[in-house]
Amino acid sequence: MVEFDLILMSAVIFLPTLFALGLLFFPPGKDELMRWWSLLGTAVTMVASLFLFIDYLAMLDVQPDFTAARPHEKTTLLARAEKEANRPLENPRAGRELVVRYPWIARFNIEYYLGVDGISMPLIILTTLLSFLAMLASWKIERHVRGYCMLFLLLETGMLGTFMALDFFLFYIFWEVMLLPMYFLIGVWGGPRREYAAIKFFIYTLLGSVFILIALLGFYFTDVQDVAGTRVYKDAKDDKGKLTRVQYDRKVEAIMLSMSPQEKQAIVKRKGDVRAEAEKRVVMNTFDLMTLAKAGRVAMKKIEGTLTAADLPGLEAAGKNEAKKEAVRKRLDDQIFFQPAWQLAFFLLLFVGFAIKVPVFPFHTWLPDAHVEAPTPISMILAGVLLKLGGYGILRIAYPICPWAAYTLAWYLALFGIINILYGAFAAMAQKDFKKLVAYSSVSHMGYVILGIAVWSAGGSQYWAYGMNGAMYQMLAHGISSAGMFFLVGVIYDRAHHRNLDNFRGLNEPMPVYGGISAIIFFAALGLPGLCGFVGEFMVVLATWNFSPAAFPNGGKVLAVLAALTVVITAAYILWTIQRVYFGVNDTYKDYPDMDRRELICAIPLVILAVVMGIAPDLIFKWMEPHVTGLVDFLVR
Amino acid sequence: MLPLDKHPGLIYVVATLLPLASFVILLIAGGVRQYLRPRKQESSLAGTLYTLLGGDAPGKTAAYVATAAIGLAFLCAVYGFVKFNSEAHHLSHEIKHLKEAIVELKHEAEHEGDKFEAKLKAKQGELAEKEGRWSGRVNWVVILPGGLNDNKHGTALQVGFYIDQLSAVMFAMVTFIATLIHLFSIGYMSEELHQPVADHEVHTAHGHLHRRGRFGRFFLFLSLFCFSMLNLIIADNLFQVFVSWELVGICSFLLIGFYYERTSASNAANKAFITNRVGDAGFIIGLLIVWTYVGTLNFQEVFARIRCPDKAFSAARGEHGKVVSLEYAGLIVRANPQGSKSANEGDMVSILKPDESIRADTRVIIFPREPDGHFEGVGPQSRAEVKEIDVFERPRPDQYSSMPYWLLVAAGLGIFLGCVGKSAQFPLHVWLPDAMEGPTPVSALIHAATMVAAGVYLVGRCFPLFTPEAQLVIAYTGAITLTVAASIAVVMTDIKKVLAYSTVSQLGYMMLALGVGGWVAGLFHLITHAFFKALLFLGSGSVIYGCHHQQDMLKMGGLYPKMKITAITMLTGVLAIGGIPLFSGYYSKDAIMADALGFFMVYKQHFLLFFLPLITAGITAFYMSRMWFLTFTGKPRDAHVHEHAHESPWIMTVPLIILAFFSVSIAWGPEEVALENTLHHAMPHAVMADFGVEPLVDSVIVRTPDGSKRRELTWSGGKTKPLSENSRHLAHEYHDLAGTMALGMGLAGILLAALLYYFRVLDPADSKEQFPGVYRLLASKWYFDELYSAILVRPALAVANWFRAFDTNVIDGVVDSTALATVKTSFWSGRFDNGIIDGLVNLTASVCFAIGAWLRRFQTGYIRSYILFLVLAAVAIWVIMSFLFGTGAPAAGH
Repeated sequence: MVEFDLILMSAVIFLPTLFALGLLFFPPGKDELMRWWSLLGTAVTMVASLFLFIDYLAMLDVQPDFTAARPHEKTTLLARAEKEANRPLENPRAGRELVVRYPWIARFNIEYYLGVDGISMPLIILTTLLSFLAMLASWKIERHVRGYCMLFLLLETGMLGTFMALDFFLFYIFWEVMLLPMYFLIGVWGGPRREYAAIKFFIYTLLGSVFILIALLGFYFTDVQDVAGTRVYKDAKDDKGKLTRVQYDRKVEAIMLSMSPQEKQAIVKRKGDVRAEAEKRVVMNTFDLMTLAKAGRVAMKKIEGTLTAADLPGLEAAGKNEAKKEAVRKRLDDQIFFQPAWQLAFFLLLFVGFAIKVPVFPFHTWLPDAHVEAPTPISMILAGVLLKLGGYGILRIAYPICPWAAYTLAWYLALFGIINILYGAFAAMAQKDFKKLVAYSSVSHMGYVILGIAVWSAGGSQYWAYGMNGAMYQMLAHGISSAGMFFLVGVIYDRAHHRNLDNFRGLNEPMPVYGGISAIIFFAALGLPGLCGFVGEFMVVLATWNFSPAAFPNGGKVLAVLAALTVVITAAYILWTIQRVYFGVNDTYKDYPDMDRRELICAIPLVILAVVMGIAPDLIFKWMEPHVTGLVDFLVR
Repeated sequence: MLPLDKHPGLIYVVATLLPLASFVILLIAGGVRQYLRPRKQESSLAGTLYTLLGGDAPGKTAAYVATAAIGLAFLCAVYGFVKFNSEAHHLSHEIKHLKEAIVELKHEAEHEGDKFEAKLKAKQGELAEKEGRWSGRVNWVVILPGGLNDNKHGTALQVGFYIDQLSAVMFAMVTFIATLIHLFSIGYMSEELHQPVADHEVHTAHGHLHRRGRFGRFFLFLSLFCFSMLNLIIADNLFQVFVSWELVGICSFLLIGFYYERTSASNAANKAFITNRVGDAGFIIGLLIVWTYVGTLNFQEVFARIRCPDKAFSAARGEHGKVVSLEYAGLIVRANPQGSKSANEGDMVSILKPDESIRADTRVIIFPREPDGHFEGVGPQSRAEVKEIDVFERPRPDQYSSMPYWLLVAAGLGIFLGCVGKSAQFPLHVWLPDAMEGPTPVSALIHAATMVAAGVYLVGRCFPLFTPEAQLVIAYTGAITLTVAASIAVVMTDIKKVLAYSTVSQLGYMMLALGVGGWVAGLFHLITHAFFKALLFLGSGSVIYGCHHQQDMLKMGGLYPKMKITAITMLTGVLAIGGIPLFSGYYSKDAIMADALGFFMVYKQHFLLFFLPLITAGITAFYMSRMWFLTFTGKPRDAHVHEHAHESPWIMTVPLIILAFFSVSIAWGPEEVALENTLHHAMPHAVMADFGVEPLVDSVIVRTPDGSKRRELTWSGGKTKPLSENSRHLAHEYHDLAGTMALGMGLAGILLAALLYYFRVLDPADSKEQFPGVYRLLASKWYFDELYSAILVRPALAVANWFRAFDTNVIDGVVDSTALATVKTSFWSGRFDNGIIDGLVNLTASVCFAIGAWLRRFQTGYIRSYILFLVLAAVAIWVIMSFLFGTGAPAAGH
């Protein structure tokens, strides 16, 4: 029972890799069989993720009826991670927390540490679903099928691992695992300018990774012993060869043992206490995102001057011992992590690193190129999942670990959000390439995510919660609608072999089913009520209106008005596209076959989700919102 | 099945969902059929299913499904209407009294403890039951901030329904007209049943376009539209209205673009939706403001919080409390902040008198959702100079709070902007005439009778939200719109364009009426207009159908003998819109004119609000008669058209006759059930408070000092304006005068049209030549399209192109040149590596080699020379050491 979480969560991550390895045993030339095998792999992964989802719901204790009380804050990832850390290993577990932590590289305190909550769970399902659909859309890939499928499945492992990792090091590994398959998928199976696009994508993303890496190192060299208490300590084996947890005392003993006799004598000579000296030398480094988040909050409180013992276990443990308290304070003062300038620097490193993925203006130009050159299924994954990783990273890492900086820079972040929205919409309107238009619409729609996350202002935490939830919902909705749009572009590209918007026209007549499905997906992107795109945008705008940054109290209102006005531009470019592609008459295309069975199987789930998510958003909010709001709650308190 | 005895209002929900069911059925059936069409030969199952779903010639099944759905919805609406009206009066009184009793009980419970709690609970339960009869709601999205403590304000977006006389009437009207139009469409759209359909307006390389028919698709869209429109009417909150608002917009888009092969149609569809979205942006902003400061979007709650309650429970000076009427009843109460905090941490503000002028920081009081005893500041018993009140920054349903006055104005204007878009008011009116590209039944249903009226409906619904400033903007917008549109209609020759501009103009009348306080008149005109304009459009549809899609009136003429039913029914419509007595339009337009006159008599500076509609009444009668004369009388101007013209089949003429009947009689009826009076019941108190002093006599429970209770008559709203400043009163007083003037103008208009186009005494071409400038201005529709193209569309495209260029040139320029620079750097560093670093290494190597070669010469093999070198070396080292470590020698000696 104890290992069940470990098995299930690892299965979700590594099943695709397993299937990728399985591909090695296929005789060459059996392309069709390999496609089916890979499809099976994505399907099995999807089923596994659904099992995980069911477990997650059971953990939240969500009842199927709508009136049930909401899950309380005991289920936040932080709470569960702490519970898991304090769980005595020798005792069988009472309940399951959906958090897995096992030592991996014990010497550097790196853990195999996974967990899901309302922020990652929906994205995991989105990933497995879109991977399945994208695999289905990959049937038209003819060259090097084995290599394609292997890379595709590896990519899925990378994405899922990133969404689940709670150890920053592990996160980074998965983050990089994602990068390489993507590079090859674009670079080998892409369009005519694939090499340029692939290198651009790779270098851009690598640049972001470097920023993240610097921050990661900075965090690791922060001594978190006062923040974490004694909890994060783990060692691989005890003397009986059994997994155990080394307590603080043992760490101190180890240091004492390592001291030379002369050293000890010198200490005794100075009338010092050997143990105290050893304690001083204890340094606790960690990649644990939850502990780092707590450290981030301590940093925020310290900078704001509101730090209390309740926030800092080290201070609490010191009790009334002034010397110990002083030592704790000094430890904080001495570390760059807790200083405002470095908090800002770390935040900017992380934000830029993740912003490149989102992408945020002006780091967005890899996106149109990558999309245009990537094959259809890869575009679906790219828009549907990879962009979400940027938003996820900001939510999971940048904000919790550097909250003070996020709060301080809120106005500028919101400005980036609104620039994205406007810039993307206008740039989309000017495009002639169908795929580029969709790519820029992604830039515009992801702007709402940034805006929703950014609108943190004093006294408006409830509205910020709206913004955060809206941003999360917008990510999911965009995952559905943009993947759908790219797929639909792919459908017509397979027939017409071009994407020039001015050369289409009149596709509705030969392909009525295609026209109908396109209408629904495009209207979803347009933010039509009743379809998925509306909910997130509306909530974000609602939150933005109530955003009042210290620098510019009415700034939120200005941004909200701009965001509201963008609906006109969005309507303009989407309707114009519909007009240019589906309306009118065109003799050239009048014999095109409508969507076939495979294409329909791929598109219809997206259509259904677009409608269901538009009509009944509470189906998702119900289990997503507690943790998104929980994060807000954690940050503002 | 449905708990209709307890919740009869649910019948409206059922009626709303019926068209949705039809939509879903048609969508799935249509989708499957389209999917199977290319595959029907593949398997017998596919073939059978395809045939079952209609095969290549699907017939009229779709129409029957859709018509049945909307017909049933109409029956539900009739049931609901009758049921509602039978109990509405009684129910509203009961609810009112229950509320008062609850206010009192609450007070008692607060002061005298628990024994009143049970009673209170019982009363509240009773109230909920009573209110639940005709309203209900559920949460749509709930965001409960987990640990955030300030969660007393808005946490849920809801969907629900709320039935009052206004929505009941609207619902009945929409379902009725929609049913007739569905019937009419079965005839009108029958060409879509042909396989293939020839579209004569689209030319391809092979002549006219031939395409598959879209009969089913038409009814599919129509069903979706009906659902959205009905949902809009029963909505009990602004959010739901907004959702429906966008949905009707998209249906309008789809139906305007129904003949999407025509570029004009797809352009018109885009224009309609995008123009509407401009309005919607305003609507969103209005929603944001209301949500933020009032904390709810539910109509009744918003109004209860923005407008001063009629009564409050006074507990002044330790006496036993009593229910008192408030001086500000129904008004928006403004207050100036005093800059001090109260004991409860709220802000202290002082209440302004109704006529006091505002400051930049003036705020509006947001009342608690249920009136309680604490709001003594504006009661009649304390007319002290300074009226202070304690308000809080964040809206909570149980507290007083406040919002900036200008934001309330902005909220009203934002919502109104949405209405401007939807109801095609100036300056967003440009889309409606273009929308005539859609099939004519669509023009009749969506772009005349229902959807475009939604803007007016919403202004009426939200009336309590509008400040006096916003009301004035509404009135002027209406006045400008009605004049501009009517002036353009005079020169149009396309029969549908005339009707389109006429619709815009009539909607302007409604807006004007609402703006000047003629709430009943405006909505009354909405209903009558829906009937006669639907009639006129369907009539024009019948003409167009009969003339084989000829819409130009200059090619018609003399059609009367050929299509008598159409001609006579249309004449009914023309007379109704022209305001001829006994026709429905007469009553409603008179009411509007009277309200405008009343307003003008009080506010002389706003004389345009009376004279523009008055003159336009004449213009309206003129252009409508012109249309009729041009179409049906005189000599046929195009022999070909005339020759083939024919009367439409019964399925089209029957709806015409029915509509003609109602165009005449809809305003008739005995006092209690007449349309105008029914609407009067739904009128918000705010209208009276803002524009009138007609005292509303009311009975309240009063508690006497000795503790007993009795019922007393009291004045509700004790404002003290003299009657001469009361526009509502004046409107009533001078109703006949206004009516006579409007009638005079109308008759003059008809006479002029007859002289020009029937008797041909005057030649219309003369006036065209005499005022070429005016003619050009009007024929070019006041150049609005050109203006918008120049100041909005082209700049937007330019910005879009800039951004694209910025992306490719600047950002990618930087990225690419960085890459290039890196490549170049690496090239040079490669050179550096090869040339200099490796050069140095190689150089060192060769130098070593050279030295070695040179040194080889000393490798003589003679011991003596080695010793010599050794000695020399030792001396040299010693010398160097002694230089380096100067103190070395003495130390060694020591």
